[in-house]
Amino acid sequence: MPESTFMGVPRSKIPWAPTIDYHKCDYCMECDEFCPHRVFERREGHVKLVVANPGNCVVFCRACAKTCGPDAITFPDKQETVALIKRLHAEGGKG
Amino acid sequence: MNYAILACTGLDKPEGSVAREVAIRLAETTGAKIICPVALNRTPARYKRALAENRLIVVDGCATKCASKLAAATGTKVAQKVLVSDVVKAAGSALDPGLRLGPGALELARKMADGISENEAFTPKKTRRAGEAPAEMEFEAASDHVVVVHDKYEFRIPATGYYFNANDVWAQVAGTRARVGISDYLQQRLTDITYVDPPEIGATVAQFDELGAIESTKAAFDVISPVSGVVVRVNEAVADAPESINEDPYGSWIAELDLTAWDEDRALLVDGPAYAADVERKAAEE
Repeated sequence: MPESTFMGVPRSKIPWAPTIDYHKCDYCMECDEFCPHRVFERREGHVKLVVANPGNCVVFCRACAKTCGPDAITFPDKQETVALIKRLHAEGGKG
Repeated sequence: MNYAILACTGLDKPEGSVAREVAIRLAETTGAKIICPVALNRTPARYKRALAENRLIVVDGCATKCASKLAAATGTKVAQKVLVSDVVKAAGSALDPGLRLGPGALELARKMADGISENEAFTPKKTRRAGEAPAEMEFEAASDHVVVVHDKYEFRIPATGYYFNANDVWAQVAGTRARVGISDYLQQRLTDITYVDPPEIGATVAQFDELGAIESTKAAFDVISPVSGVVVRVNEAVADAPESINEDPYGSWIAELDLTAWDEDRALLVDGPAYAADVERKAAEE
């Protein structure tokens, strides 16, 4: 289940989730095995792993990227995300 | 104190080959015992005594961290840990492809081995920084708790004096200082904590920056700082006995900071009773 809010801000307003670089990913599935929040899902076919549930990703957590041997996972800029959260928080979470 | 080294086999990537070289050099220069990761994985009993009697140094090649995972799987406390790919990245360099090490990679391995043995020769690396010790502040132990019950689990939360971010990290504030640690809910989710990597003393962090890391037999967790400030102290007792976080999550602080933006930071934190409501919701969503 996705978290509905983060710091009082609707989670859906916070674009924090991993991005997979498919040129680097070797489908070792370490990230999927690591993440307890079911952010990733496996697929049949050419692309074997996708970010299926970005809203499940814990804001500011980058732990899956640290399990990635080929360094194929990136996250949004943290400072920009903090600034966005602070702005939305100041607006009362209405965004 | 004697040492054991658990390193990447070095047969997958050049970073691994460097890790293997670091292990060999450490064994040659310090007499530490090398633990074969393949043999440990296949027959853990073979190294039971070596792991129980020695401080363990883990050398990972790449972020897959096979050696760390093996250490966690055996429930062994880790004294020091290095990751070759991080060192290469921090140096702004890259390794040549291929598993045979060139002069540059061999030099890197030598420097890493020297760095590890210096750290372990052996003053705790986080307190080596010169300078006057910061004054002690009064941080009172939490006395009154809110308890969230979910199935067979009970999660305790201090009713007052602690502030939480949505990443399950607390700050206890006294004057212009704060101590930071992780919540009872998070430690129960992580299960047995085997390694704490505290931040560097003197490091300046902004709210939501990483403030060290924790590893357990189940997962790795970056400590996301609830406050902005400068690290003035780290809890060596917790680094030496990571299981203390499982035993006393609100007494086992990880770092102490001089606060630089508390009023602003506070606006994005919740108090104990509000965090208890968050924990109730998170536990129900699991």
